[in-house]
Amino acid sequence: MEKTKPIFHSIALIVLIVIFLLFWHFSKEADAVKPTSETMPTLFSHLSVMLSVSLLAIPLAFGCTFYIEEWLAETNWIRRFIESKVAILEAIPSLLYGLLVVLLFIFQSDNTLLVLGTLTFVLIVLPVVMQTTRRALRSIPTPMREAAYALGANRGRVLAEQVVRPALPAILVGACRGMSRALATAALLIGIHAWGYTTDITVSRDTLTKFLLFLGGALLLSVPFSLRNQR
Amino acid sequence: METNNYSIETENLNLWYGDFQALIDVNVKVLSGQITSLIGPSGCGKTTLLRCFNRVNERYGNVTTKGEIQILGKNIYDADVSLPELRKTVGMVFQRPNPLPISVYENVLFGLRIHSPMRSFTRTEADQIVEEALTSVFLWDDLKDKLKTRATSLQLEQQQKLCIARLLPLKPKIILMDEPCSALDAKGTLAVEELMAVLAGSYTFLIVTHNMAQARRVSNECIFMFLGELIEHRETQALFETPEHPKTEDYVQMRYG
Repeated sequence: MEKTKPIFHSIALIVLIVIFLLFWHFSKEADAVKPTSETMPTLFSHLSVMLSVSLLAIPLAFGCTFYIEEWLAETNWIRRFIESKVAILEAIPSLLYGLLVVLLFIFQSDNTLLVLGTLTFVLIVLPVVMQTTRRALRSIPTPMREAAYALGANRGRVLAEQVVRPALPAILVGACRGMSRALATAALLIGIHAWGYTTDITVSRDTLTKFLLFLGGALLLSVPFSLRNQR
Repeated sequence: METNNYSIETENLNLWYGDFQALIDVNVKVLSGQITSLIGPSGCGKTTLLRCFNRVNERYGNVTTKGEIQILGKNIYDADVSLPELRKTVGMVFQRPNPLPISVYENVLFGLRIHSPMRSFTRTEADQIVEEALTSVFLWDDLKDKLKTRATSLQLEQQQKLCIARLLPLKPKIILMDEPCSALDAKGTLAVEELMAVLAGSYTFLIVTHNMAQARRVSNECIFMFLGELIEHRETQALFETPEHPKTEDYVQMRYG
């Protein structure tokens, strides 16, 4: 096991280098208008993504998780439904979200809005943060909550003082994970976005739509299996 | 308010967790100012019954309760009953010591801070309250220099005593205990039992225990439960020595025979 690891790593590295060289080569071929690659716009895009995500997705995820975990009973069907779906959504690669948004919104309305991009990021980050927050809240044992309830504290107080305070480090780690996931995705997009301008996409919209529909169908089919494996 | 000398009275109390009926027609009267113990095999509804009295088990969500519970002459399922007030009157000590993850000092004051408006007591008053509470559970000498340490870092025995101490500033009438000594060693158990004996006159204690020797040592009255039903409720001595019901006899003699 340990001997194969370095070999595997070097192969992976070589493959990556080859892919990079190929990209670099073709980028020179297809290059009609050289994409501007300045630091400030890229930095600014990154910051705006981070800002929008931390203002929208993270508070939303916190609110949802706190409500689901502390207010809804464990037997509540909404809670069960959301828990299982969030666990699945967390594992879906961000690329698929991008495709989904392209298919659902951009192709339908024929205009690209910054709002859509932001919403996509919210969609990507939400399950990640929700899942980590949930684990953090679960790590606080129930007797601790009951101690405060039995003294007459209301739910808000128990949440703030007995649950969130001790779980805060883990909750913040979740927020960081969410932001870094958004950033990693954004970095790719910002890096690649020049391609959209420089290379001519020859695939027609119809073919692309068919492909996306096929992909979506395959995903839907895989959901029952992933559900079964979860239990 | 007190019209008779019963702190807790239930009338045909039935309780379901989903489809499972955990309590069946329980009628019980608990004497004020006494220690009453609840015994019975696991899963017979002792803890469930105990948790009904301050309505902590409503949190599970799938609980249905029918019947009446009178605490100090007031039905706790009436619409005008406020849960914080009820839980102030009926304190609870849990199976595993569960001090809040804050300092010893703040643990004792936590209940009081919930039930009184901001800044209703001064720093010196607070100091005094903490000292009184810790003194009455015999912790003051051990902890007076450690008031700022986290309560979760204390010894288990001290933690459990602290859990009792934090109820006292609220001046409860009834203290429910769910196997308070099961996580403690013999010395800790003895300490908690002594503490109960000292406090018994001014509070009503209801204690769930699996340890029949303990039930015999500490309690004045004893209740035997089996599969959700209350089988026998008598004076402890009588229940252990001349049980009326064959099931009680089986249970008591299983351990002693």
